[in-house]
Amino acid sequence: MIVTPSLGDQVAKGRVSIVVERCKACGFCVEFCPTHVLALSSAFNSKGYHPPHVVHPEKCSGCDLCGMYCPDFAIYGTKAADAKKEAAAQKATGGEK
Amino acid sequence: MKADPHGVLTGTHFIDGDHACCEGALAAGARFAAGYPITPSTEVVERFAARVPTVGGSFIQMEDELAASIALQGGVWGGAKAFTVTSGPGFSLMMEHIGYAAMTETPCVFVDVQRGGPSTGLPTLPAQADMMQARWGSHGDYEIIALCPNSPQECFDLTIKAFNLAEEFRVPVMFMMDEVVGHMTEKVVIPRADEIEVVPRKHTKKSVENYLPYGTNGDMVPEMAHAGEGYKFHVTGLTHDERGYPNMTPQTQDKLVRRLQNKIRSAEDRICLFEEDRLEDADVVVVSYGITSRVAQRAIDMGRSRGLKVGKLRLITAWPFPEKKIAELAGRVKAFVVPELNLGQMVREVERAAAGKAKTFAVSHAGGGVHNPEEILNAIVEANRC
Repeated sequence: MIVTPSLGDQVAKGRVSIVVERCKACGFCVEFCPTHVLALSSAFNSKGYHPPHVVHPEKCSGCDLCGMYCPDFAIYGTKAADAKKEAAAQKATGGEK
Repeated sequence: MKADPHGVLTGTHFIDGDHACCEGALAAGARFAAGYPITPSTEVVERFAARVPTVGGSFIQMEDELAASIALQGGVWGGAKAFTVTSGPGFSLMMEHIGYAAMTETPCVFVDVQRGGPSTGLPTLPAQADMMQARWGSHGDYEIIALCPNSPQECFDLTIKAFNLAEEFRVPVMFMMDEVVGHMTEKVVIPRADEIEVVPRKHTKKSVENYLPYGTNGDMVPEMAHAGEGYKFHVTGLTHDERGYPNMTPQTQDKLVRRLQNKIRSAEDRICLFEEDRLEDADVVVVSYGITSRVAQRAIDMGRSRGLKVGKLRLITAWPFPEKKIAELAGRVKAFVVPELNLGQMVREVERAAAGKAKTFAVSHAGGGVHNPEEILNAIVEANRC
């Protein structure tokens, strides 16, 4: 499952997508996000880890630093222009990737 | 012996190298794996853990790589074909038990999907910087075999080969993948089980009274006992005699350690696999392995289209190093160009084997990506001038 929070009316330069089942909750993405978009959630994935969730979607610049740091391919950032394509692709594949 | 059809997923698949490696292990008869999953090798054991119960085997996730690498050897002595999967940081932790496997002649496979290092380095990006560690990482004198696939198809084919070599020579075999090969998705054709040749364990036919666990019959590879059939054997990392019991004298040490080396070295010609292309008229030979060989292919084609006489030697077996082949080529070519995703490892072997008869040019890359073919081409042009 990939969680990509909707931005609603807020204008952000990018957004992050979280591959919940790949996460081992190391917290690197939370720690290193330059605009503090993320926090570890209280939810569990099937392995019992707490994946991150987006707490400040409007602050995301789509820099993909989270994706660079993630040791498990569990998160990635996309620039706003790419985000539209990403959303269309996810809609087409039913959210699975 | 033919493969057990239960483990063979015959058909044409579109899968990545990690998954192909897992299918290769299943086809080769692996029914046990112990691991501590680590990026970029995780998918191998993820698939294995899901698949192996359906064919009558098991996977255990251990508390760390030390535990994984010794649990797998317990599995082997219990009768299973077994392997473990890791990447650089875990490979470092497994070194002690690779030496143990070499000393106790435990047939097993260590898969290392290489990523950038040292230390945790680049978890999600490629390197080929564990090549020397694979050969020399554990202490003492020993020989291992290392294979380097360059495609998902080879991840399947050569994993079977790795298990076969492990059984034939009773040696730990290092399967040196890299992140790109592991995560690259391509067509993988898995043949029918009756088309796959697997080497069964070399079980003794001797009676319980006459069996010597480390006695040899001329081919330097001792026979194993089948656990549970009444044979008594003792497995130790201490220097041991033919009975398997510690016997710490210079004479026993000399006999044992030389045999461990010679059983591999004397079969070098049979173990060393390589792919060659356009070497007949070559002035410059590009020596590469793993993912780098595919980038090198492009550079070689570019060189040829410019009229340069470039040939290809791709190492499929990295260890034992095919030094006879390099020595033979060194006598008739001008230079070797060795691109690799490290700051110069296998290039030292090429240089050593060339023994000054041909120049050697390294095209190093610290890892995190692959070479630009232009860099290799520039080295080819430079090498051609010498």
